[in-house]
Amino acid sequence: MKEIVKITIGLTLTCLIAAGIMGGVFIITAKAKKHNEYLNFKENMLTLLGYNQTNPAPDSLQLCTVYRYLIYQGDKTALGYVLPVKAKDTHDIRYQFIRVNIQGQFIDQFDLNIDTAQSNDSNDREKAIASVLPKDVNQLIFADRFIVATNDNKRLAYLLPGKTPGFKTHINFMLALDSKYAIVGLQVLEHQEDPGLGAEIEQEYFKNQFTGKDSERLKTLKVIKEPIPDEQLKFLEKAKWANNAYSKNDIQTLQKKYQDKDICAITGATISSVAVLNGVKNVVTKFVYRVKILENIIAKQNISVAF
Amino acid sequence: MIEKNKSYGNILVNGILNENPIFRLALSMCPAVGISTNVMNGVLMGIAVLFVQFCSSLTISLVKNYIHPRIRIPTYTLTIATWVTVTDLVLAAFFPVAYKSLGIFVRLIVVFCFITMRLDVFARKNPVFPSLVDAVGMGFGFMLGMMAIGGVREIMGMGTLMGYDILGFRPLLFFVLPCSGFFVVGFMMAIFNYTENVYNRRKRARRLA
Repeated sequence: MKEIVKITIGLTLTCLIAAGIMGGVFIITAKAKKHNEYLNFKENMLTLLGYNQTNPAPDSLQLCTVYRYLIYQGDKTALGYVLPVKAKDTHDIRYQFIRVNIQGQFIDQFDLNIDTAQSNDSNDREKAIASVLPKDVNQLIFADRFIVATNDNKRLAYLLPGKTPGFKTHINFMLALDSKYAIVGLQVLEHQEDPGLGAEIEQEYFKNQFTGKDSERLKTLKVIKEPIPDEQLKFLEKAKWANNAYSKNDIQTLQKKYQDKDICAITGATISSVAVLNGVKNVVTKFVYRVKILENIIAKQNISVAF
Repeated sequence: MIEKNKSYGNILVNGILNENPIFRLALSMCPAVGISTNVMNGVLMGIAVLFVQFCSSLTISLVKNYIHPRIRIPTYTLTIATWVTVTDLVLAAFFPVAYKSLGIFVRLIVVFCFITMRLDVFARKNPVFPSLVDAVGMGFGFMLGMMAIGGVREIMGMGTLMGYDILGFRPLLFFVLPCSGFFVVGFMMAIFNYTENVYNRRKRARRLA
């Protein structure tokens, strides 16, 4: 009996010490970790927009995030959007929350009392939304977000983070669409596909095949099991281009030539290829549908959005 | 305590050759098979393991007199888990570049049985400094093993080494798949055993002569 007590106390103490150490380190590092994740995400966005170290993003570049929420009120469901809006007197960005019903009709709008840093933090954001919503709302669930990149008040691109079930686990990716909803670029953020097989989805020769496909073409786009022609392969691997391998005209003609071609599957990784394609299709179709409704509401309600 | 009359050099080499965690002890085969698809993975995993083994050995050999013998295994697991979590958090917060390539490996280490085994067999019975030497030896043994397997699989599967194209073509894609890990580990174990046999036979022959 004495032994049991001794063991129990010993084990409890060890656990408590271990928990204390881990908790302490977590508290110390939490802020820096979050910041790093945000920086990493931002870097991916800038890469998609075509900026890198040799070609840094201009100061006038603005990335506005729109968050979409699901609101459950009684037995009714509505959608909520957090929109960045221009402040009337200053150049600051304020945030508004609008409610839209399932049919796409505008319900009401609220001002959110948060700044940009707070809007990036999911806890602060949800607290602010909950404080303005009526009391009988049962549940507020974060659905997704998209980012609008603007430069000098011109829309450069829409950036859409997405997730799709791959061959092993989920594949996280980000898409860039231009103002006509055609794909500008695809970036695979996180995946655990097999190296040498499914992991090739990270490679340019696969990713860049999506460039130029618009939402109409995406509807019928499929994966074909054919090797990529040498000419196209060379064109797709942008990182390997020599300085003057292609003139602007060449790029345009080649882009046009392969614009409407289906996606060639990766050898030995058809499932991963199809998974990415389905994810892209899914994200783009839903986004195009939703953004049209949202644009409509913004125009009708005269909301001076920041993008 | 057999290790007492061994020099530090012997302890160090012991981890790399005589008691190589992968080829001789056949422990922690899960990462050896799953992750060793290229040399770089082996190096990164090795660094992560070396660090965690070092810290855990230090902790255990410092507090060895206070550990109740009946709950020593849970204590080891807790120690390793604590160090892994701490490493993971610190890397993520302050070394984002290293975390990008090391991140997934660090989190896997909790399930490595050879670290636990080393704590039980060595760190629990020996003073601090020999335990640290043993930890370094084991860590390097594991790293070299992973690199060897990774090298074979990378060359055979993808025709590259450390990411550089060497062969220019892919001999056998099969080597990239997880199952080939078993084959490579098996063959390497056979080579290890054969070398040892030959070495012992020669030693005996020399003694007789």
